[in-house]
Amino acid sequence: MSLIRRSILAALATALIATLTAPAGAQSTLETVRKRGKLIAGVKTDFPPFGTVDAAGRNVGFDVDVAHRFARALFNDENQVELVAVTSGNRIPFLQSSKIDVIIATVTITDERRQVVEFSDPYFMSGSLILVPKASAVKSLDDLGGKTVAVIQGAIQDKDVEQLQPNANRLKFGKVSEAVLALKGGRADAYVHDDIVILSLARENADLKAVGKTFVPRPYGIAVRKGDTEFINWVNAELRRMHTDGTYERLWKKYFADVEQFLLRP
Amino acid sequence: MTAYGFDWAAVVRGLPYLLEGAGLTVVISSIAMVLAVLLGLALAAIAQAPGHLARRLVAAYVEAFRNTPLLIQIFIVYFGLPQLGLKLSPFLSGLAALVLYAAAYNTEIFRAGMEAVPQGQFEAARSAGLGELQILRYVIVPQAVRISFPALGNNLVSLVKNSSLVSTIGMVELMFVANDISFNNFRTFEIYGAAAVIYVVIVLTLTRLLRAAEGRLLRAPA
Repeated sequence: MSLIRRSILAALATALIATLTAPAGAQSTLETVRKRGKLIAGVKTDFPPFGTVDAAGRNVGFDVDVAHRFARALFNDENQVELVAVTSGNRIPFLQSSKIDVIIATVTITDERRQVVEFSDPYFMSGSLILVPKASAVKSLDDLGGKTVAVIQGAIQDKDVEQLQPNANRLKFGKVSEAVLALKGGRADAYVHDDIVILSLARENADLKAVGKTFVPRPYGIAVRKGDTEFINWVNAELRRMHTDGTYERLWKKYFADVEQFLLRP
Repeated sequence: MTAYGFDWAAVVRGLPYLLEGAGLTVVISSIAMVLAVLLGLALAAIAQAPGHLARRLVAAYVEAFRNTPLLIQIFIVYFGLPQLGLKLSPFLSGLAALVLYAAAYNTEIFRAGMEAVPQGQFEAARSAGLGELQILRYVIVPQAVRISFPALGNNLVSLVKNSSLVSTIGMVELMFVANDISFNNFRTFEIYGAAAVIYVVIVLTLTRLLRAAEGRLLRAPA
């Protein structure tokens, strides 16, 4: 009995080790994508105006348009892209486990993340803002001491709030929509996230308002797997083309025109 | 495209936090277990009452909670009820959903156990002059619990694992902590692997305890 059990365990362990130590892929992502005939991009679905889902169930937003643009550059067909919904928490694991080829999902470039992914040149500058109920007296981070502050698990604000307002009690959620529900239901006194999403949420929800001065501005980057320089060079070249051919400016106007005065240009 | 390099030191660094989360997993699961067993037993007994009403009400409860995802129940209690004016703390929200969900299964498990007690036992108890409640208390429930025990044990194991879903409402239990650590250090395999091992330890401890309890039950006189 124990001999059988031991040999089964040994076989399982061997199989596991073999799977884990096999190279993730001998060919580059760009080659894989071209062979496959479609790009698989991780985008947000709860993050206006970068990635949301419209009433018809279609992915829309700035990042989604960038993904379509990449598909057009690769295959001359902007629909040759599969959009996979990701969250701040799972997007890097999705990339690492090859579920997606590229993250176009409001990834703030940080030193920690640089250790595990390859970042493109910045394509957006984002700081953080505070979302509170209309009637709230909160005006800045200083007022959040002793308050319950919703943040997203895996988003940079989790650490930012911990450092800048250690007296706040952080309540962490997986998705933006859950944090907003918590705020509306009185489970949190404030919700801290990227300025652009807070501004959009304040505009869409009459019972909420954005307060505070933008803090800790940092750039967004597109991310590919660590060490994949060929693919990241391609991404950077395409981003530059989007600037020179006017696409970037068009997308900026399309998505950010009404909150433009609050935003920092990269 | 290199092979994944393991970093087991990440587990060591994360261990105190993981164990803290495991503590809450044990606490919320234990309380939920006791309440779900009591509630399940009570509802199964109520369903035995004469007339259709009690049985139908219990059946409606069982169907409602057994046929909907636990995650939806957690979200309704945590996000939905405050809109109706009932705001439970995150702990109580998670606990309430876990109890209601597990108790629905327990009700069915105990009901089956009670119905498996031979009809002759009722008749014998009645002819011995016991009242209905006495029959339930001294004759039916002790036997029903023994019959139900293996199925009950399975459901309690599920309860421990299902408690991971309260991570979605900001409860800092084991699953939440595993997310929290791996979302920041990206050592997905090591951290979730460590959390899985801790779950195994918790569940193995529980099954040992259940087996000991079952042994005592079987030895005890009726």
